[in-house]
Amino acid sequence: MRNSLIGLLVFIALAVTPLFVGQYWTGQLTTYLVYGLLAISLSLVWGYGGILCFGQAMFFGIGGYIMAVFTKGMIYPDLTSSYLGLLAAMAGAAMFALALGYFLFAGRGISGAYLAIITLAIALVLERLMNNWYALGGYNGLLNVPPLKLIAFGYSYELWDRLPTFYIILGIVAVVYFGVSFLVKTPYGLLLTAIRTHPDRLSSLGYSVLNLRLSVFSLSAAIAGLAGALFATLDGFVSPTLIGFTLSTEALIWVAIGGKEMLLAAFLGAIFTRTAESWLSEIFGDYWILILGVVFMISVVLLPRGLLATPIEMLTGKRKRK
Amino acid sequence: MLELRNLSSGYGDALVLRDFSCRFENGRVTALMGRNGMGKTTLLKTIMGLIKAKSGSVRFDGQALETWPTHLIARAGIGYVPQGREIFEDFSVTENLQLGLLGQDPVGALPFSQIYDWFPLLKERADQRAGTFSGGQQQILAIARALVGGPKMLLLDEPTEGIQPSIVHDIGLQLAKIAKETGLGILIVEQNVEMVRTLADQVLFMENGEIRESCDIEAVKQDDTLLHRYLSV
Repeated sequence: MRNSLIGLLVFIALAVTPLFVGQYWTGQLTTYLVYGLLAISLSLVWGYGGILCFGQAMFFGIGGYIMAVFTKGMIYPDLTSSYLGLLAAMAGAAMFALALGYFLFAGRGISGAYLAIITLAIALVLERLMNNWYALGGYNGLLNVPPLKLIAFGYSYELWDRLPTFYIILGIVAVVYFGVSFLVKTPYGLLLTAIRTHPDRLSSLGYSVLNLRLSVFSLSAAIAGLAGALFATLDGFVSPTLIGFTLSTEALIWVAIGGKEMLLAAFLGAIFTRTAESWLSEIFGDYWILILGVVFMISVVLLPRGLLATPIEMLTGKRKRK
Repeated sequence: MLELRNLSSGYGDALVLRDFSCRFENGRVTALMGRNGMGKTTLLKTIMGLIKAKSGSVRFDGQALETWPTHLIARAGIGYVPQGREIFEDFSVTENLQLGLLGQDPVGALPFSQIYDWFPLLKERADQRAGTFSGGQQQILAIARALVGGPKMLLLDEPTEGIQPSIVHDIGLQLAKIAKETGLGILIVEQNVEMVRTLADQVLFMENGEIRESCDIEAVKQDDTLLHRYLSV
């Protein structure tokens, strides 16, 4: 209960931020919200589902490309609805995760470090594939992805301005955040905890471990795909870097620094790390990466539950069980 | 009714179970006894599909289960309480019971109140973390978790291992009562003679992956030469 109260406070704080910062930072923060969404998806699959996915950006990238292809009218010139694009991006990422997950988890299944390495390798392969897929822009990616176009009650509105864009994205992220927070408190969350700690004990109770893993893997992929699709509309641009190694590991660092077992901490981990990066890289240049590395090590060694999750847990006075 | 025919199973190339055939009726409690390493646990795991049968068949209420995955076997109505209990230590009693319930077909499932009637201890401690329980209490919880899904057949693997005698006796009496009241069939692997005497209708003695002797519980109660021969107690 107090946990969702803190979540609510965080989103209220985010909502009033544009009143205090300029246009530039509002725009930046909008992008960070989308990264935060990616972090939520990774926290769900890793922190809750126990699946260490080292290639989470592949779902982000798939979502981005699908959104671009759809809204640019490359599939069908008259079918450029943003809504359809978002749905297709989520469904496409989820379906890819379903197929991939089947190979990863069926039978004995792969877990731990092997799973991390294989997902990382697949992200690299996809990045390479997009680099050479010339119909989809190849190395240069796809330009001029239109912004989100909202159509409701006969009105149509394109999100070009920063402030409305910020609030629409914040709204979407809030819905996903509170939705997932609710989900992990239902019996499904109990099952996720059980599958993370003792997967071998579940099958004789009537659960298909494979189906459970596939469900959380593709749900997480759908959220990452949504994030990627939103990102494409913000940047107006998708490229192979969205899908590959760099973003995947970055997302992992955000989530690990924030705290993988707490959605809010993972989400804030992404926003804080990106904000810090903007500030500190101006001051320290490339040495910023060293600072990030040191912070990451401190977090892993001293506060393995996360730099942000630990204080939030103190505030709420409740530890999530391992 | 659970019927095994010419069931062979084991680990890698090593066969532990050889041409095992047997029938287990609903409403009857069958105890499977034998020394360590004779294939008792392997038999239960093979029935549950945790180990794939090399040959032979497992039929339950007319369905051939031997190729099914474990979770479907569990849903077909076979409850399993593994050796070592395997409850979820970090979960409360209620959450453990929920896990036993959610995976099953809701049609046959039992209400928690029924479980609490049978095991009042669990009602008193519904919110307590299961990891803080004693071995015997954990065993009761493991049995309750298997029962809440409403199985027609319950497989128990050495439920008395490491448990104080007074609780062993209580569990035995309660299970016997449940079997009688509900028509539940029980197959219990056990080395504890006291438990078998309290609970079982029929005793099978197992050696080297085969049934060597099968007799009524009364015969065992009157004459313990079989116990000496197959358990060396």
